[in-house]
Amino acid sequence: MVGETLQKLLMTAWLLPLLGFVVEIFFGFWSKNPRHSKAAAWTAVGCIGAGFLCSLTALVMWGTASNAFDDGDAEGWMSQQADINHARHPHHEADSSEGAPPHEHEGADHDAEHHGSSEAGADHILTAVATEDDGGPKLERGQTVYSGTIYTLGVFGSLELTLDYYIDSLTLVMFTMVTLIATCIHLFAIGYMSDELTDEYVDHFAHKADGSHVHRPGRFYRFFAFLSLFCFAMLGLVLAGNIFQVFIFWELVGICSFLLIGFYTERKTASDAANKAFIMNRIGDFGFLIGLMVLWTYFGTFRFGDTMVDNEVVDQGLFSMVHRAEDGNFDRDELTGDVLITGTDGHVLTNEDGSNRQIPYYLLVVVGLGIFAGCVGKSAQFPLQTWLPDAMEGPTPVSALVHSATMVAAGVYLAGRFFPMFVQEVLLTIAYTGCITLFLAATIAMVATDIKKVLAYSTISQLGYMMLGIGVFGWAAGLFHLITHAFFKSLMFLCSGSVIHGCHHEQEMPKMGGLLKKMPITAITMLIGVIAISGLAIPGVIAFSGYHSKDAIVASALAFKNANSAHFLLFFIPLLTAGITAFYMFRLWFYTFWGAPRDQHVHDHAHESPWIMTAPLLILSVFAAFCAVGGDHGYLYLLLTGDEPAHLEAGVTAVGDGITLPAIQDIVDEHTTAGTWALVAAVSGTLIAYILYGTNFVNVEEMKRQLAGVHGFLTNKWHFDELYDALFMRPAHKVAAFCAWFDGAVFDRILHGAAKATVVVSKWDRVFDENVVDGFVNLIASATQSVGTSLKVVQTGRLRQYVMFIVLGVVALFAVMFTTFPG
Amino acid sequence: MSLFFTIFALAACLGAVAVVISQSVVRMAFWLIVSLGSVAGLFFLADADFIGAAQLLIYVGGTLVLLVFGIMLTASGPYMKIPASPGETVVAGLIGVMFLSMVFSTLPASKEWKQSPNYIAETVTPEFADSSEGNTLRPLGFALLGVRPDVGQDGAGYLLPFEIASVHLLVVLIGAAYLARAKRRQDNA
Amino acid sequence: MLHDPDLNSYLFIGAVLFVCGVICMATKRNAIGVLMGVELVLNGANVNFVAFSRYTTLGLDGQIFSLFVIVLAAAEAAVALAIVLNFYNNHLTVDVDRGNKLKG
Repeated sequence: MVGETLQKLLMTAWLLPLLGFVVEIFFGFWSKNPRHSKAAAWTAVGCIGAGFLCSLTALVMWGTASNAFDDGDAEGWMSQQADINHARHPHHEADSSEGAPPHEHEGADHDAEHHGSSEAGADHILTAVATEDDGGPKLERGQTVYSGTIYTLGVFGSLELTLDYYIDSLTLVMFTMVTLIATCIHLFAIGYMSDELTDEYVDHFAHKADGSHVHRPGRFYRFFAFLSLFCFAMLGLVLAGNIFQVFIFWELVGICSFLLIGFYTERKTASDAANKAFIMNRIGDFGFLIGLMVLWTYFGTFRFGDTMVDNEVVDQGLFSMVHRAEDGNFDRDELTGDVLITGTDGHVLTNEDGSNRQIPYYLLVVVGLGIFAGCVGKSAQFPLQTWLPDAMEGPTPVSALVHSATMVAAGVYLAGRFFPMFVQEVLLTIAYTGCITLFLAATIAMVATDIKKVLAYSTISQLGYMMLGIGVFGWAAGLFHLITHAFFKSLMFLCSGSVIHGCHHEQEMPKMGGLLKKMPITAITMLIGVIAISGLAIPGVIAFSGYHSKDAIVASALAFKNANSAHFLLFFIPLLTAGITAFYMFRLWFYTFWGAPRDQHVHDHAHESPWIMTAPLLILSVFAAFCAVGGDHGYLYLLLTGDEPAHLEAGVTAVGDGITLPAIQDIVDEHTTAGTWALVAAVSGTLIAYILYGTNFVNVEEMKRQLAGVHGFLTNKWHFDELYDALFMRPAHKVAAFCAWFDGAVFDRILHGAAKATVVVSKWDRVFDENVVDGFVNLIASATQSVGTSLKVVQTGRLRQYVMFIVLGVVALFAVMFTTFPG
Repeated sequence: MSLFFTIFALAACLGAVAVVISQSVVRMAFWLIVSLGSVAGLFFLADADFIGAAQLLIYVGGTLVLLVFGIMLTASGPYMKIPASPGETVVAGLIGVMFLSMVFSTLPASKEWKQSPNYIAETVTPEFADSSEGNTLRPLGFALLGVRPDVGQDGAGYLLPFEIASVHLLVVLIGAAYLARAKRRQDNA
Repeated sequence: MLHDPDLNSYLFIGAVLFVCGVICMATKRNAIGVLMGVELVLNGANVNFVAFSRYTTLGLDGQIFSLFVIVLAAAEAAVALAIVLNFYNNHLTVDVDRGNKLKG
């Protein structure tokens, strides 16, 4: 069966990094020359690379299988899928049982044409043109989801602890993306971390109390062990078939990021940043836990999908427990307005007393907000975004991994995975959170000077885009952007790592400049990444990945704005920010690679990185440029959306004065308009950046002085750290100080009083013990002794006296008896 | 009968008193022979012919010979006479008189006993007691074997005490030999 | 004056023998003398046994008791003489006053 094979392949890809971790952490140090050996690195690369091959195989297999309607082999599988769909989506019965609903046929070869005119694109989707002949991808957008149990950890009454899997198109694409990027980053890290291959590593950024640098053994193998664990955790999160399992791996991802961000643990800044990342995430995870509790209370399961055994549903999952009506809204009780909980056949489940099982609507909102709170923490959304820039303290490969494929992707991934359970209010919250985040981060990125900080804020901003996309019902757009962003952001981080490596750990852009000639490969690949993220394109000719994905998000936002005119900001801010994005990215590129060297010393020592670092750059640049080729008709998009949630198709109609969510058709209609506007914004941002930083027309320093207020505000990151300091830290300190005072003044006093009382009582007790108890015992003893002493006299030892005593005794006894009993 | 009784009684009592009074161990032994022999005579008078014979044989013939051997082994010159202090003698005499008067004062109580002129002659039937063998020899032998024809089924036999006594004698034999064996003096070692 | 002996006459003789034995034990410093006192005490008891055997319904049991007493007295005499010899070996005397190690 395809499902089993997919499961085995993905399990292999998932568990290989764990094997790598175990081998590296337990055996990495036992090689002959552990501090100088690259064995651990190659183990890690081998594991994750093999994982990539497994994932790729699985992806190709899935694509082939879901495409092969005419193959005899696949017929059984398809009919089975039809049955499943039948069971799960009875309202789609007409569509699914047909196997190939006509309007879902698409052809990607009409890409260019589509960009030319929106009507053409619309036609292709609507009119089901048979395009099998022209060799384009012919993917069927069926609901091909495999879920089930890998292993049952334990059964406690009705509670079943299981390791589940949930494999759909999103899982597969994420797997391939994560393993591919992780492989590249592993390779890059071999070069980047090579200065750890020593017994005596001098950390120039960590100082001892006397001001000298910290000397420590290199930690090469440990770094790769952590990387492997990180990959394992992320893959486990993606493969997880129930949300509690997601939570477990979610935390594992968190601990790995903690370990890696704080890798240079001797540096105060690094350990602080690691703590900050961990603690900020805990805030979000608190919400996550609340969501989990509500879910468990009302649904009694954590599984996403239904577990099938022989085409029978044995365990119902969450997604089929809430049923959407034709207008996209959840089925609700007519009187109370509670959301009904349904079985797999769409009928309402009942409690033991016969009443309908239902969950109050507001609690469904709580679930959504709670889960999203976890995503906010993990994906560094407003207001928990402050940890991500600080996380730059980790080694650059870690930043690349954290920012593209693993940590922050986890939040967006979960939001996408849990999408079917989100109600409109939650989606609106997500949209506004993303909107605020993307603008906030983009403005800060404009003034940041640390090359990695710029990229960090850029990441936050792009994550905001993704969240916005998901929030405005552009599920596919948001996740599409997640994938493309992962490629170009990992590329740019590795490029920045290459620059930092080449400039001997100089990260300040004002000290760089003119590195294009010194580091051509890095500069060119970086330029590709910058173009990609900026969304520049020549429509109809060439378009890098970022253009397609951002275009899709902006289009979704536009469609959303059209449907809900009150929320126009959700369209205009991302549009504006698209320009800002282009501006700050090109600013970064011009600052670093263009113009004249600003610091001759740095420039003189700069050098191109070795092949092991540039090769991943080249690989990633190809993907960054072309992975999304074809836009929403390309392979990637179609693969990704193969299993998109069913209610996306028709959108959601507003109830009362609620939110209307646009149907896919509405979004497609806006593609051209939105794409044009986004492109205009991006081009203007690029031009401004070129004028300011690429040429000498304008004195940038002069501008800085004139706009000192705004600049300072942005440089200080909108004073968020200060705000949190004032809002939380100082009150916390106050409370802590009060607690300390209370502890000292009250508790300690009580305790000391109790202790003193005990001492006094003990003293009295001692007196009593010594005088009364001991006195009594001593009295008995001394009485015994004196009696013995006096009786000793009688014991003369003379035999003959004893005889006399006996006789006297008998006589005396006789006398006594005679007088007592005379009768 | 009462003449013999008087003679034996006087001899026994006076012999005993003489034992107390004598200072020499050898004389004490002599007077003890007189006293114990007279007691044997009293036994004969009390129809206890076998006990009397045993008294003569074991006491006079056995135990006293043993005592004389003891005297000969221990009593060398200066130790023949070890005088007691006069005070002790007086005190012992007083205590003896007290004890004697105490016992005498209880003698009238013996009237309470169920007395019989000659119980043994009544109970021991001629079938058991051939007068040529003495009155009590055969009944005593049966009694030591656990048979009591004189008192019928209710009487208790003495087989077990008899056996215990025999083992006891064996133990005593070995124990006495062990205790009295020639040992090296401590200071010679 | 001379009349047939009765129970009391025997008991009288037994008492005299007994008291003489006790006094003998209490006054003689010679260990052999003490032993002789013991023999006298036992004989006094024997006289009583035999007398009760003759004049009361005790019957033959009294004689058997006195027989056992004689046997055990012989045994006692043997062991006691062995002890005396030991004592003599250790103290080179038979003065019982020298054996006062039990003095408290």
